[in-house]
Amino acid sequence: MLVGAFACAHTPQLLARPETEDRELVLRVHAAFARVKRRLEALRPDAIAMIAGDHIEAFFLSAVPALAVYVGTECAGTFGRYRYRFPIHEPLARALVEAGIERGFDLVYTQDAPLDYAFYVPLHFTMPEPSVPLVPLHVNVYLPPQPTPKRCYEWGRALGEILGSRSERVVLMASGGMSHFPGTDRYASPEFDYDRRLLDLLSAGRSRELAGVTAEELDRAGNIELRTWITLLGAVGDAKADVYCYEPSWHHGNAVVEWPLAVRTSGFRGAGAPPSEASL
Amino acid sequence: MVHYRFPPASAYRLNRCLFALKSDDAFRSRFRTDARAAMREMELDDADAAALLRGERDALVARGAHPYLVFMADLRLRMEREAVTFEYF
Repeated sequence: MLVGAFACAHTPQLLARPETEDRELVLRVHAAFARVKRRLEALRPDAIAMIAGDHIEAFFLSAVPALAVYVGTECAGTFGRYRYRFPIHEPLARALVEAGIERGFDLVYTQDAPLDYAFYVPLHFTMPEPSVPLVPLHVNVYLPPQPTPKRCYEWGRALGEILGSRSERVVLMASGGMSHFPGTDRYASPEFDYDRRLLDLLSAGRSRELAGVTAEELDRAGNIELRTWITLLGAVGDAKADVYCYEPSWHHGNAVVEWPLAVRTSGFRGAGAPPSEASL
Repeated sequence: MVHYRFPPASAYRLNRCLFALKSDDAFRSRFRTDARAAMREMELDDADAAALLRGERDALVARGAHPYLVFMADLRLRMEREAVTFEYF
């Protein structure tokens, strides 16, 4: 069953804390992460299904999966001196692959891909002790052509239904966003107004509209990573977002959000059909 | 797409080299010791090698390099060259 849903920024500067950053801003995001951690402790999940976009770490141009599931016994990753290792909830991971394929999603699965910082930056701050087993779910965000927002939403709907039919208590966590443009001239000028409009929409429970945005719009707004959020939205439907924080730094819109859920144990139908087209 | 485009096959070796600079500690070490030898190892052509040596982001992206790979390769090299202070607060 799906018992909780969150979205967390994974900006590496939140972890690395270089002197280029605004200390108070970073600490406010840390405080929001701490709220997530307390909620996770209260929700007592058996697994965290984490939707993140690999930053060309696990998947290079040798093979670029649109959607993938990590199904090994554990997953690990490093960034500089930071080293992480988490257990994977293997039965649930395998069930998601099998049920997803059965529903027509041609998922890639991996038993040894490295874990990217999109996964472990939020988990550094939010993972309860002892570690809750993970199910890492990859959505391609950086290597075009990425899956369409509509496809992500549909995969999220399927995830919601599959998780709703399972006995495990599962929290969904989307990692990424909001607006940022690494490696481009726009790095120091994200689209904060776009982010704020989007958060207003999510707070009003109008999540479905996000499924209809185009890939071009996400690219223009520095929000290619919102495919992970859109996947989650497919699972949570029209639940209203509780925005813990939105902290625009000089390079990144940092958001931490929860969608409080009414827990349903079976036949969970997260969302209706996505609209054919929309723009924010 | 405006910011992140399909990586052309013509830039595969360049992107492979940037990926290694980002993610392969041993390759990054070889690059810092002898960049030209490391780039020969990656079979870069002269124009790619020249752009990478000069660290010209726009030239690299114009040649098909993925902007994120350019960004992270540069960051990882700077982290080692400049001993960037982490956990400043």
